Amino acid sequence: MLFDLWYRLRAIVRRRSVERDLDDELRFHIERQTQKYVSSGHPVAEAARLARLELGGLDQLKEQCRDARGVGLWEQAGQNLRLAFRSLRRRPGFSVVVVLTLALGIGANSAVFTAIRTILLQSLAFPDGHELVRLEQYEPRTASPPSAVATTRLEDWQRMSGTFQAISGYYPGDISETSGDVPERLAGAWVAPRFLQVWAIAPMLGRGFAPEEERFGGPRAVIVSERLWNRRFGSNTSIDGRRLRIGQDSVPIVGVMPESFQFPLREVDVWAPSPVDAPFAQDRRSTWFTAVGRVRPGITLTEAQADLDRVQAQLARAHPDTDARIGVRVTALKDVVVGDVGRSLWLLFGAVSVLLLIACTNIAALLLARTADRQQEISIRYSLGASRASIVAQLLTESLVLAVTGSIAGLAVAAGALRMLEVLGEGLPRVAELRLDWMLVAYSLGCAVGATMLFGLFPALRTASRRTSDALAARSRSVAPSTQRLQWLLVGLQVSLAVPLLFGAGLLLRSFDALGRVAPGFQPERVLTFRISGHWGETTDMKALQRRMYLTAEALQAVPGVEAAATALAAPGVPFEHQTEVRIVEGDSAPNQRILASTRVVSAGYFATMQIPMVTGNPCPQDAPTPTAVVNRRFAALYAAGSVPVGRHIQQVPANAFLGAARIVGVVGDAREEGLNRQPPPIVYWCHAAPVPAPLFLVRTRMEPMALASTIRRKLGELEPRRSVYEMAPLEERLSETFAENRLRTILLTFFAVTAVSLAAIGLYGTLSYFVHMRRREIGVRMALGAPRHEVAVSFVRHALKVSLIGCVAGLALAAVLGRGIAGMLYGVSPLDFMTFSGVLLLVLGAAVFASAWPASRAARVDPMDVLRME
Amino acid sequence: MGDERIDLPQGTLDLLILRTLAIEPQHGWAISERIQQVSRDVLQVPQGSLYPALHRLERRGWIKAEWGISEYNRRAKYYALTRTGKAKLAISAEGWRKLMTAVGLVMDMK
Repeated sequence: MLFDLWYRLRAIVRRRSVERDLDDELRFHIERQTQKYVSSGHPVAEAARLARLELGGLDQLKEQCRDARGVGLWEQAGQNLRLAFRSLRRRPGFSVVVVLTLALGIGANSAVFTAIRTILLQSLAFPDGHELVRLEQYEPRTASPPSAVATTRLEDWQRMSGTFQAISGYYPGDISETSGDVPERLAGAWVAPRFLQVWAIAPMLGRGFAPEEERFGGPRAVIVSERLWNRRFGSNTSIDGRRLRIGQDSVPIVGVMPESFQFPLREVDVWAPSPVDAPFAQDRRSTWFTAVGRVRPGITLTEAQADLDRVQAQLARAHPDTDARIGVRVTALKDVVVGDVGRSLWLLFGAVSVLLLIACTNIAALLLARTADRQQEISIRYSLGASRASIVAQLLTESLVLAVTGSIAGLAVAAGALRMLEVLGEGLPRVAELRLDWMLVAYSLGCAVGATMLFGLFPALRTASRRTSDALAARSRSVAPSTQRLQWLLVGLQVSLAVPLLFGAGLLLRSFDALGRVAPGFQPERVLTFRISGHWGETTDMKALQRRMYLTAEALQAVPGVEAAATALAAPGVPFEHQTEVRIVEGDSAPNQRILASTRVVSAGYFATMQIPMVTGNPCPQDAPTPTAVVNRRFAALYAAGSVPVGRHIQQVPANAFLGAARIVGVVGDAREEGLNRQPPPIVYWCHAAPVPAPLFLVRTRMEPMALASTIRRKLGELEPRRSVYEMAPLEERLSETFAENRLRTILLTFFAVTAVSLAAIGLYGTLSYFVHMRRREIGVRMALGAPRHEVAVSFVRHALKVSLIGCVAGLALAAVLGRGIAGMLYGVSPLDFMTFSGVLLLVLGAAVFASAWPASRAARVDPMDVLRME
Repeated sequence: MGDERIDLPQGTLDLLILRTLAIEPQHGWAISERIQQVSRDVLQVPQGSLYPALHRLERRGWIKAEWGISEYNRRAKYYALTRTGKAKLAISAEGWRKLMTAVGLVMDMK
């Protein structure tokens, strides 16, 4: 063993010519000195011995020579590197486990870090994106979310405020482009003046809108996306004479926006001016603009907010009827875009950080076991004259090689994970912007170096302390008790870190399960949804628009396989979040009580189509001379004091131009219209088939809904060839989309938790294997003295279980504290859920038994004779 | 012969090596032999320190090494004084003489 090592060291040393020279030089010296002794009468063997003796320890001498030459750090590092690779190759199992552990830890961490940086920290991909804000008007008296802005008010804000470079707005509107054989639906946006000025992005071809094009009755013009331009006109660079055919009109294209410009939505292909001086735009109650603005450089959100508050207060005095009860809210556009994905991302970041910590602990335990195993080798190197620094450097090099390999693998994992995130998180904001970048590389390398320090330095210093090595030279095959305790501590630590992750994942999974078993109060299965293109101009004749909807619904019902059809402003079960204050006209029971209700606008046939049961009265009528409405049971119970509200009239506060006082015709059962995870709110269903030109069509089918898709398209094509049909999807798909983020975070957290437990199990396995290996002599002796084999095995498993149990209890305590943090993400399960608690406990203990079974059985197979022979 | 030997004072080995090489290039063994001979066996170069010292001087650029053929037709590493080495030797020798004189004065005081 010693001889072997000696040779190996020499072999490495001889690699370089400098080293060979040193060898030759010293050998020459010894030869000459031997000759000298021989010539003075010593026997040859004695002479050689004397010559060597005079020179002292050859290795030590060479080391000193190397030091004297200052054998470059590089050379030393190169040699360390070679040694490291060699020694890692000798234990492929160990190396692979460590690299994989690191790859998972660093990879997952880097991916989530990139997501956080891109989505939360980076400003939007517009010039000076931090200056962009969303402006909203809201009704301070209701809990209703801020709404769109009236055209005149938008112009007033622009004119009277002093902190903005520009304020503009837009609203989506679909366009049926009819120059081809089949009308094509194009996603469009109608924009207020100064739209491009707010984004500070110039068209790649052509120009923005001219002032006369933004005036009512002025020449028409559109700007199109690069995508549409390329599809229609190839890579043609001349914009002259290019036109789109919109409905009956041929409209010139004046500009092309580059692909990078994706606002308000990624799929918008056409932008057209919305004239602010149009007669229909003068009503201060008609709100339709989503307002955006760009503040002047250096202006903070608070300053902009204060400025607009002042402006709105002036407007309130000028227009007391319409503006007195309106507040303004200024929000950074980035926060609007990102929404509350942040919460999920920080949760995941916490989870992967814990994962990385477990990974490092795991590797520390593995490395500790391995270096303890190498004490003998190291003490031999000491006795051959290696310095402490060189041994520490050697061990650190090994760790660094592992860390770098691990982080390269980790980068691959991160790249894969990001791609997966892009696929899984399709609906999430800014997912398309995710890119691996240098920051991520730096971060990953930082992790690697940190991990190396964390898990490399400690075992290295520990092993290289001469005291330990002396002790171990004397007693080479046993484990110092302090090392044992430390390793078990690390195992317990891993378990206690993995448990909260597992617990969190368990809670999210149970929430999902509970969500799946919710009775929503309507039947989401076998419903096909889609929209049919319409134009806002049609809203001038609401009667005709409604008639069109009912004609279409009748035609749909005639399609074989269709049970019922209806329209609605929004899909049931998808949060619409439009809460308004209403007033029961005849209600004098409680004049001071504010009545807040969710607003839904539905056509006749909606309740039949969605199978929401009637409680009393009738569903929405198809032809009613005056406005009608239906309320749900909860509304009746809350606001009609138990009496049947049918026949009374209900009105929005403040009075709405489109939905006047409506007669309540019926009461329906409670349905979870605002999301499957929310209790049904009090709801007013206003009966109107077409509050917007393109409401959502809901068609109940007898079979799988998408099977009817092409039949329905054909039928609608026959009915109205100029209109396009789009956004066709089963209702269940729309419902599932609302849980996309929820699902993604559940999947990811579960994945992290499983990885964490696997790592902890690997750590347990590695540690126990090592102990079994080191204590073979003791086991052999115990067996020779008559201890039964199974007892030996059980004692190991028992110890593993004890440590896991302690770790588990600590982890669950931690989980109970952390559980509060995710309470807001849970549904139908308490953050201290007992089932989840016990499930986690069972799972971890099961994993512990599983991981310790193999090492324990190896302990049981120790042959006492073998061990005794080894002594 | 052992009784007459004295250990080399700190720092003098470098000086002795340089002085020896000032006569002609030599390999390590010969250097130690020469020092021993010239000092009439009083100075014994600790062989463990000789080679580190040679390598250190080489690194500093005071001496340079070249492989040559030795007296017994063997490959040996010959060291020679460089120009820097010569200058250093002059300075060190001067310093050494001053020190010797000074120490002598002190030792001879009455």
